[in-house]
Amino acid sequence: MNGLLNPPNRPARHPSTDSGLEPTFRDPAGQLRLMDDCALRQIRPAAREVTLEFLRSPLRTALEQSGDLIASKIASPDDHPLVAPGELWLEHPRVDPISYPWEWTTAQWRAAAELTLRVASQAIAAGWTLKDATPLNVLFMGPRPVLVDVLSFERRDPRSTVWLAYGQFVRTFLLPLVAAKYLGWPLEATLFRRDGYEPREISKALPRRQRFSPAWFDVVTLATLLERPSQKPSDAKKLPTAKDPALARHILEKRIARLGKQIRHAAGTPNRSQWSDYTQAARHYKPADIERKRQFVKATLERLRPARVLDIGANTGSYARMAAEAGAEVVAFDSDAAALETLWETAAREKLPIAALVANVARPTPAAGWRNREHLSLLDRLVGRFDLVLMLAVIHHLILREQAPLALIGELAASLTRRWLLVEWVPPSDPMYQEWLRGRDELYGNLSEDDLKQAFAPFFAVADRCSLDNQRVLLLFERMGETSGGAAETGKINHKESTA
Amino acid sequence: MKLLRILPLVMIFMGALLLSERPAYAYADPGTGLLALQAAGSALIAAGWYLRRKIYTLFHRAKPAADNQEEAARVVNGEDSHSS
Repeated sequence: MNGLLNPPNRPARHPSTDSGLEPTFRDPAGQLRLMDDCALRQIRPAAREVTLEFLRSPLRTALEQSGDLIASKIASPDDHPLVAPGELWLEHPRVDPISYPWEWTTAQWRAAAELTLRVASQAIAAGWTLKDATPLNVLFMGPRPVLVDVLSFERRDPRSTVWLAYGQFVRTFLLPLVAAKYLGWPLEATLFRRDGYEPREISKALPRRQRFSPAWFDVVTLATLLERPSQKPSDAKKLPTAKDPALARHILEKRIARLGKQIRHAAGTPNRSQWSDYTQAARHYKPADIERKRQFVKATLERLRPARVLDIGANTGSYARMAAEAGAEVVAFDSDAAALETLWETAAREKLPIAALVANVARPTPAAGWRNREHLSLLDRLVGRFDLVLMLAVIHHLILREQAPLALIGELAASLTRRWLLVEWVPPSDPMYQEWLRGRDELYGNLSEDDLKQAFAPFFAVADRCSLDNQRVLLLFERMGETSGGAAETGKINHKESTA
Repeated sequence: MKLLRILPLVMIFMGALLLSERPAYAYADPGTGLLALQAAGSALIAAGWYLRRKIYTLFHRAKPAADNQEEAARVVNGEDSHSS
């Protein structure tokens, strides 16, 4: 109860983490802090025994070996000044970058939901259960979802036929997917719905006939009908059990299998958009130009050998994939969810180290949650963490659709990269530029490659150049005054620049 | 008619299951409607579990081999009735 009544202690000796996040505070069993190179989880005394029991269990070993659960080890006071002798702390590897459910494609939601159900099912078979089941407990390591909350596991009453986290799973996984598919409520809107949607909200919004769809009649319509707002307090404390533990397990397994079916139904049909077939349908590129561009990017990647690459406006990920194949860890984002879905599916299928996020560089995902310190903004997660940033055919979008001046684009790019920036400049004569120009020739019709270089000059020097027959130009920029240095240090320097 | 015979049994099992309860200690909000849905769903699945052999015989003439000890014994002893 201490965890519920008292706010988390923050003794003076605790140095603040540089992540900009508050330690987590909802789970009474413990709290998590993000450090530079790891995540530290403090376990409260009341949860100590069950946590140690879980750490010793074959279930934990199996889940870690399959990659479904984040690795944990007991943190030593010798390695971490935060850890006081006698306290139980766990150390986990940092997942970088963190991505939030409001930045996932539908297929990523499905993968995260299926992971949660798979883990819940294994836990039930081993005599454990998941006490919570929310997308916020899942992060993506590259394209692979991983459950990161080891405090979610608790011993199961072998006779209980209820999965207490069922309601949370329905509200936070299933109903957002149903709402996205059948009501057009974007998955991005979950930024404002930490606990998802209540069944009655979805029931009210669905057309009357659709409320009886067998796919969600139980979790939407029936659950709404069974709601009892004025129930007696004693009723809320009683849960059904079965005399036979084998029956209890059978019921729980059936329930999880049903949720799996419902998730597959709600997240089934892939979306298509203007941009999802863009690479294949591009009319403004002749095969020779595409080949020349590919060769230049490939040669640049092989020469620079970047460890971490950011692909802004990655589309379906041709170049993100090239960077991954050249040995880089890649973060790729695009505002078009359908195009990014193709990217994520390719990366997941081929096990490429690419983290995919649905995000818009011009309107980056904001910080969110309690005091805006529970979830980091997109830029806080990306600034200064990349050796090479790709902005291929993106800048004309920022100029024409976001009306961003070139100098500000250069400043943003300089805050993201530690050293290199590869730009594809699309000139005003290009059909794609003309498509978005829309009569604003006087303002934007005469911008040239020289204007780009001049605007970027305070931050970058041109290191290489390749012109294509279709008048587009590939420019490799090198950050001035930065030849090497740690990510965090560079990030701080850059952050000052970008806020100056 | 077989269906009518098993109906009282279904009701008894559902009632027995719903009456058997223990205190709940939830961390995540279990909801009210979704929790009640689980209770009702549990009762239905339990009914199916207890009556699975009866339900099986509604649609199949022969009993499943694994559920029939005599038949299982014959199979083990090499006296498989289906092969004769």
